[in-house]
Amino acid sequence: MIIPVRCFSCGKVVASDYVKFSDRIKDIRSNGREPTPEEISSTLDDLNVHRYCCRRMILSHTDLIDEVLPFS
Amino acid sequence: MTEQRRKVERGEGEYNLMSLKILKAEDRFIKFSIDGITPTIANALRRTLLDDIPKLAIDKVIFHHGQIRDREGNVYDSSLPLFDEIVAHRLSLVPLVSDPKMNFREECACEGKGCPLCTMSYSINKIGPAVVTSGDLQPMGNPDLTPADPDIPIVKLGPKQAILVTGEAIMGRGKTHTKWQATSGVFYKYHREFVVTKSELENWTSVKEKCPLSVISEDSKTIRFTDDDGCKAVRQLLDYPSVKVIEDDTQFIFQFETDGSYKAIDVLEYALKRLPQRLNTLLESLTTPD
Ligand SMILES: [Zn+2]
Ligand SMILES: [Zn+2]
Repeated sequence: MIIPVRCFSCGKVVASDYVKFSDRIKDIRSNGREPTPEEISSTLDDLNVHRYCCRRMILSHTDLIDEVLPFS
Repeated sequence: MTEQRRKVERGEGEYNLMSLKILKAEDRFIKFSIDGITPTIANALRRTLLDDIPKLAIDKVIFHHGQIRDREGNVYDSSLPLFDEIVAHRLSLVPLVSDPKMNFREECACEGKGCPLCTMSYSINKIGPAVVTSGDLQPMGNPDLTPADPDIPIVKLGPKQAILVTGEAIMGRGKTHTKWQATSGVFYKYHREFVVTKSELENWTSVKEKCPLSVISEDSKTIRFTDDDGCKAVRQLLDYPSVKVIEDDTQFIFQFETDGSYKAIDVLEYALKRLPQRLNTLLESLTTPD
């Protein structure tokens, strides 16, 4: 639905990092290609998201709030 | 080959002096080493850092339901794409810059009614279409106690939607709820040394080149490395059986990060003061049988 504020496992705030992460991925996609695994990994490192508990919060998230917005 | 050195096991009445050295300190991250403690004390410190630091978090949210009007008189609806409970929960998890001198509500002079010494209020007033973020939380009262991270999305508003809420933040500890957890990723490891006999391993020159700061001592026959500072090349030495690894369970390399409610160094200072208080609570609760 919307990105959880904190990591379920360790409690680090990940919601603000998700916004920055998806902006950078959007930048790469606007060049007409998918980001490479190395680019995804280094983007997360740049955002100081090092632990895999926090990385999965961001990587496995699907933002669906725009789909339900018209029905509220 | 791994071997543990136990300096702590000494005769009765002998004590090690504890010493603390800061290895790296940033606003929200700290790495330090503590020498002369046992694993029990190290773990007690870890738990204190995680769940016994008082900080502010929103505990009560009041939603305005019904029509919301802006200055021009346009009418907006207060319904949101997320349930009010979810929005309240998300608001509570926002890290707030905290003042450690604030009282716990149950210990406050106001006897739990809520007063400026124990309660901090915030409000959000925003009209759609927009993304409501933690930066929209307006502190009412002490203007220093702002959200520590202004970019957390809370909820999205469609056209003709608006949000008008107030929230009350109180002090709490991480053992009650994650929203009061000031730190995350509190780790410690033993200090360890890699003893390399130069004649048995030629690789040592490249490790020394890559990690010059990791060398503890060197003579004509042997060289000692440590991986305290996390220099990656030192870890290659684990692949060679001829390298002797000595772990020291009296010296601990700690690291943790904070969510921005306090500076990392302030959290550490508080935790070191808090730890003896916790142990005293345990002592006081022990009764000796007659
Ligand atoms: Zn995590
Ligand atoms: Zn009070």
